[in-house]
Amino acid sequence: MRKALKPWGLFSEERIMFRFMGIDYVQLVQGDRIHASLLHDPDAFAEEMDRIFIRGWVFVGHESEIKLQGDWVTRQLGNESVIMVREHDDSVNVLANRCAHRGTTLCWEHQGNSSFFQCTYHNWRFGLDGAVRAIPFPDGYTNPKEQLGLDRAGQIDSYRGFVFVNLDGSAGPLDEHLGAAGYDLIDRLCDLSPTGRIDLSKGWIAHRVQSNWKLWPESDSDGYHVGFVHASMSAATDTYYDEVAVGGDAVSSSRAVDYGNGHIELDFRPSYKSELSWLGVTRDKVQGYYEALATRVGVESAEKMLWEGPPHAFLFPNLFLGELVIAIVEPLGPGEMIHRHTSVQFEGVEKDFNQRLLRQTEAAVGPASFITSDDAITAERIQLGISGTHRSWAQENRGWIDLSRGLHREEVDETGTRLSDASDETTNRGFWRRYLEVMTRSVPM
Amino acid sequence: MIAGDLHAEVEAFLYREARLADEFQLDEWEALLTDDFHYWVPAGRIVGEPAEQLSYLNDNRTRVATRIRQLKTGKRLSQLPFSPMRRIISNIEVSDLGDDEISTKANFVIYEIAAQSTGELRVWPGHAQYRLRRVDGTLQMSAKWVELVTAEIGQRNLTFLI
Repeated sequence: MRKALKPWGLFSEERIMFRFMGIDYVQLVQGDRIHASLLHDPDAFAEEMDRIFIRGWVFVGHESEIKLQGDWVTRQLGNESVIMVREHDDSVNVLANRCAHRGTTLCWEHQGNSSFFQCTYHNWRFGLDGAVRAIPFPDGYTNPKEQLGLDRAGQIDSYRGFVFVNLDGSAGPLDEHLGAAGYDLIDRLCDLSPTGRIDLSKGWIAHRVQSNWKLWPESDSDGYHVGFVHASMSAATDTYYDEVAVGGDAVSSSRAVDYGNGHIELDFRPSYKSELSWLGVTRDKVQGYYEALATRVGVESAEKMLWEGPPHAFLFPNLFLGELVIAIVEPLGPGEMIHRHTSVQFEGVEKDFNQRLLRQTEAAVGPASFITSDDAITAERIQLGISGTHRSWAQENRGWIDLSRGLHREEVDETGTRLSDASDETTNRGFWRRYLEVMTRSVPM
Repeated sequence: MIAGDLHAEVEAFLYREARLADEFQLDEWEALLTDDFHYWVPAGRIVGEPAEQLSYLNDNRTRVATRIRQLKTGKRLSQLPFSPMRRIISNIEVSDLGDDEISTKANFVIYEIAAQSTGELRVWPGHAQYRLRRVDGTLQMSAKWVELVTAEIGQRNLTFLI
């Protein structure tokens, strides 16, 4: 007998068909290589949007973006547009940006403040909790009102202001997804703020890139390319990247780290040759910041943190903790995406300090920047290079992408974390290992 | 009213600035700038205090020198090769502020080929506000603020001189 179709689900017969006709991820994602077709295959893209962006945990935004009750922002999570809103009880809710009546987009601006959401088609009105509030000429309806509300995220959780959602509600709790390492990476960023709180409300800048979204978790955490793709930045500027990555393993002691669950880091901490290298200043220039930090965490911790700086890490599948930049990877299609970023702002510092962070962000990331503009072109060149490959080529040994670098010298510690030289493809493999797990795990029917 | 000769002089300056940018004559373009030059491409309209905003580009004189130096390394992948491009400037308005300071506004459209990757034709419509200063008898540029029509929807590669 056929089971009833559940939201986000597939008929069991169709799932069996997938086994035979669909994409064989186990064949295409191997330990030391992946098949290039996965970077442009529209079938793979459709399944990723379901498996990763609907059924898994994804980053949606930061609580500082919606400080007041009724503040909202819209965000694109895979194929779904959602509204992140602060409710009247100060809680954060994530709703489908789609009228429950006929599917009209509710919010077409990026942000706003409202006490309700009203559809422009038949004026249905919804509360900030997504429940239907008012329907014109209600006598025409007999179904219970509770059935007429907006689709809501199945699970919402946040940590130090970072809001994550699992739209279908079927994933385990957030802590299973983030793991100890995910929390620790967020801590290492937020702890640098004198109050322990950061603010991400300076707005997001969209860099439109003609590449597959999966090239960016890799690019953002790849230590091998820095001295080549960013040679012009290194030649034109006096940059701390020279000591942490550009020179390669001969110069840097940075580490490529795979924490599991697709969370990966280029750990620059062993490479910094002076305190505050990551901020490009000496302490006397930011004495007020240092003193405020030391007041909260103590002198010993503050001294250590000034050396270590913020993490350069990627949390699966869409959040880049790029030192003093936060970026979201936003897939739009198999060969089209947005790398959307904002600048970290610290609470409890002088205005000049946060302006420095804005200028540092503009220099590093975005379509006119000195760094990631060159990554974007590289991603587009990869996309052009792989766009003719087909998954049927896998057996013929054509169209593979090699990710074997450093496999022989990778170490695994007692927690299962893999570590290797910064130029090794440990981070790339970490992303793809998680990808394979997610794309092949059984989905509750 | 602006005297006809000032309008013509400013117009000639803008055309020259546009041509040098289009042709990546980087040293010649940089020679147009005053020491306090400010180059700004906001993520929205030209409004508010630039220093307080996160922008596509917000260069002081030092940073624009770095930008040009990077373009000249021959290793700047996002401009390797330089984009073939031409811009049309129109709707020029000139205000003489006195003390050798001139404010100018214009609209532009740039046609650019993404020669570094996809090879597609890209169109960049926008509005620019310039601040010009007469130094030793010649006009120089002390500010160029560029408001893109597409500012709020995001940009593709913007590493040429806009």
